[in-house]
Amino acid sequence: MRYEIRIDGHLSETLAGAFPELDHVVTPDQTLLFGQIVDEAHLYGLLARFQSLGLLVVEMRRLPE
Amino acid sequence: MADPRSFGPEASIPSADPRGDPFLSTRFSLPARPDTFLRRDRLVAHLDRGLSVPLTLINGSAGAGKTLLAADWAAGLRQPVAWLTADGTDEAPGVFWAYVLEALRTAGIRVSEDVGRPAHPGSVDHALLARLAADLGGRARPAVLVVDEFERVPSAEIAEQLQFVLHHAARGMRLVLVTRTEPLLPLHRYRAAGSIAEIRGAELAFTPGEAATLLDSHGLSLTGDAARALVERTRGWAAGLRLCALAAQQSSDPETYLKEFEAGQSTVADFLLAEVLKRQPAQAQDLLLRVSVVERFRPGLADALTGRTDGEPIISRLHRENAFVEHLGRSWYRLHPLFAEILRTHLRERRPGLERELHRRAARWLSRCGSLPETLAHGAAAGDWEFTARTLVDDLAIGQLLSGLRTEALGRPFARLAPETAGPAASIVLAARELCRRDLRRGLTHLQHAQRQLDADTTDDPGLAPARLSCALLEVLAARLAGSPLRAEQAAKTAGELQGLIPAERLDRHPELTALLLTHLGSALVWAGRFDEARSALSRAVRCSGSPSTTLPRQDALGHLALIDYLNGWPGQAEKKVLTAMGEAQRLGLPPPLRTGIGRLVLAAVAVDRDELDEAQALLEETAPHGGAPDPVEAAGRIVATSRLLLARGQVRDALRTVRTSVPAEVVSPWVEEHAALVASAGHLAEGRPEAAVEVLGHTPARRPARAVAAAHARLAAGAGGEALGILDALTGADRGGPALTVRATLVRAQAADQAGDLTTARRLATQALLDARRERLRRPFLEAGPWLRRVLGTGAGLPPAWDLLAVRPPGPPTPGNRTAVRHQALVVEQLSERERDVLQRLAQMMSTDEIAADLYVSVNTVKTHLKSVFRKLGVNRRSDAVRRARELRLL
Repeated sequence: MRYEIRIDGHLSETLAGAFPELDHVVTPDQTLLFGQIVDEAHLYGLLARFQSLGLLVVEMRRLPE
Repeated sequence: MADPRSFGPEASIPSADPRGDPFLSTRFSLPARPDTFLRRDRLVAHLDRGLSVPLTLINGSAGAGKTLLAADWAAGLRQPVAWLTADGTDEAPGVFWAYVLEALRTAGIRVSEDVGRPAHPGSVDHALLARLAADLGGRARPAVLVVDEFERVPSAEIAEQLQFVLHHAARGMRLVLVTRTEPLLPLHRYRAAGSIAEIRGAELAFTPGEAATLLDSHGLSLTGDAARALVERTRGWAAGLRLCALAAQQSSDPETYLKEFEAGQSTVADFLLAEVLKRQPAQAQDLLLRVSVVERFRPGLADALTGRTDGEPIISRLHRENAFVEHLGRSWYRLHPLFAEILRTHLRERRPGLERELHRRAARWLSRCGSLPETLAHGAAAGDWEFTARTLVDDLAIGQLLSGLRTEALGRPFARLAPETAGPAASIVLAARELCRRDLRRGLTHLQHAQRQLDADTTDDPGLAPARLSCALLEVLAARLAGSPLRAEQAAKTAGELQGLIPAERLDRHPELTALLLTHLGSALVWAGRFDEARSALSRAVRCSGSPSTTLPRQDALGHLALIDYLNGWPGQAEKKVLTAMGEAQRLGLPPPLRTGIGRLVLAAVAVDRDELDEAQALLEETAPHGGAPDPVEAAGRIVATSRLLLARGQVRDALRTVRTSVPAEVVSPWVEEHAALVASAGHLAEGRPEAAVEVLGHTPARRPARAVAAAHARLAAGAGGEALGILDALTGADRGGPALTVRATLVRAQAADQAGDLTTARRLATQALLDARRERLRRPFLEAGPWLRRVLGTGAGLPPAWDLLAVRPPGPPTPGNRTAVRHQALVVEQLSERERDVLQRLAQMMSTDEIAADLYVSVNTVKTHLKSVFRKLGVNRRSDAVRRARELRLL
């Protein structure tokens, strides 16, 4: 499954390195992370990682294949 | 008022959690508030109001200021507060509750010792929780428990248990959960009942006024507009404001800095942390990055990680400046979890590959002064298997891998250990893992690999003694699984010699090692039929210290002792031992798969002797082997119980097929062979082939009682009554065995007397057998005896005491509920005399012996005599049992 996750604010390159499995692009006031997500465990694991890094998830959606 | 511990004594008996690790005292201490901490009265007031409801939830994102709020509030309360910082290892309910109890005790909230402590890391006895709830419920002032970082306890089971205790403790407990994620408690129900106070993210957020005050305490003055803009930018996030203050403080022009930050678009913590970090001196930056790989650290550990010696001053400066470092007490520190997480990503970027090396250094430092599980975790994270395994082996903790309680916790770090890389210590760990799964072949391969490497070292280095001892222990286990008493004895002897080379203090810390050695040795000896030696080893195992780590081997040893009792004809003693073991297992909350298998097989066999066949069947089904082959004794125990049950059910062919199942073992077990012959003989008798029954038991008269009784029985059936009596007469004293055997022998004699036409003797002997069988509730021998018994005992009035109760069957099929009733069904009840009834009636009125004597105008001794015969007739040993039994039999 492919997902797209919007984070509030510009993510630094360093911190983006914490998500090597995802690509990212920076929009004017958000960062967009996207990529393949293996399963539900991975999805919840990602959410926990966003939280533990103090990142605010603004939107999260599954992309059509 | 600042330290809640001033309310009571320090934790009572210093102890360890169920994994055997000492409690981490830092997890019970209130986190220190930094000098710049801002007390926000609106939140404190909300928390105070929360004290009127059972549950308070402080729910917010990382760095929202939850912990400091709770700590500040708790420190200001005029009553003790139990504080517990949760930890990833608390996922195991036993560990979690052990920590909760310790937190209460540390805070001086006295919990009765009767509540007990969980003994198994993975589970907690429900009765313990009920006792805790009752204990808390009974107090005038509620006990306040704060669990911080509760998001690290994702277990639904623990949430349910907390909810149970909270509900039943009612007014006696106030629970405050501090968490990033919503706990799994049924919050909607609490909300509907108005019994929850919630402080969530929005309420935790700083208002512009609060933000201005906070920055003011950092020497930065903000206008109203600037404060509003800052709060908007950080969403009032405490960690953001704190970092912002630090970064601004360190910049040359704080006001401009803040303005620029407000206008920026970066993610807050990420950006600010990098800012604050880059303004630190190089050594401090390096230290911060490196300590991010450990949960908590002391200056010494920081030095080990940096390879320098400047840890102490840097850490205390960082702590003083409120930059990243929190003090946990007793010179332990930690990074704020949020910052640690971000720092780790910086570490990976700046020093790729260094993380592994840091884990290796942490493992080495911790192995010298830290706890074993932490060492193992870091060693495994470094992939440094031989070191990690050697730490475990040198600590003598190998037994804990085998004894069940810590198999998980200690075994998990080794999950990724690849066999081909193994040095001696790693091979030992791998062997232990395979033998634990009862994979003898693989286990032995690893064990031999370890042994060869150890033998190659001819220096006699005393440092290798723990590894050699671990090998010897595994060797005894392997010998047990292989059914090889000789190898077991040899290895046990080697182990005994090696124990002398190891400091007694280290051995004392690991009582499970000795208990396991003795139990495995005992099991191998039981297999070989060397019961006296086996009993001596097993009894020593049972007497090993009662620490949780020895529970499993002691259970196992009791099960084997029970098997010996059963085989020697003492079903009552066997049952008692198993029930003792099972009671302990239950009290300690051992999960069922770890409970004694052999013990329950013995119970099944005992149940067959008592003609409680459904119960026997249920026990056999409960213990059906799951995965891995059982060890030989257990396999044989299953064969004995199953074949006995099948015989009792008249399924002779199935019984014969069962005893023909071979149990793979190096030596033949005499009692297993004997048992096969007994069943074969009984099968022939049941199908009317007495000669074959004689044949199968062999012609040499056996000295072993079970075989002798069966041989006598077969010969009698074949018409050789004289020979039969000869065999029985040859048995003397202790050779005769316990009641299960003597009752059968007496019945053979009675039948022989009957065949010889001596009805009086036959009747006397049959009556004797009934009386002997009663206390053990042995029904089976009489049901097997045949129609002659009924004739001998006679029918009608004036005949032997209540023999026909033999025919009384328990009412209805046994269900779990009435099992005990069924079990205690009287076999035979002799008529009570009128005087005995008088005594019994008074006993039921709770009168003492003296009172009964006075009431009946007889002497105390007379009453005692009557009591004794009442007990005998009812087959009980205690007053209360006598009354209960009399009621069951409607004698009262």
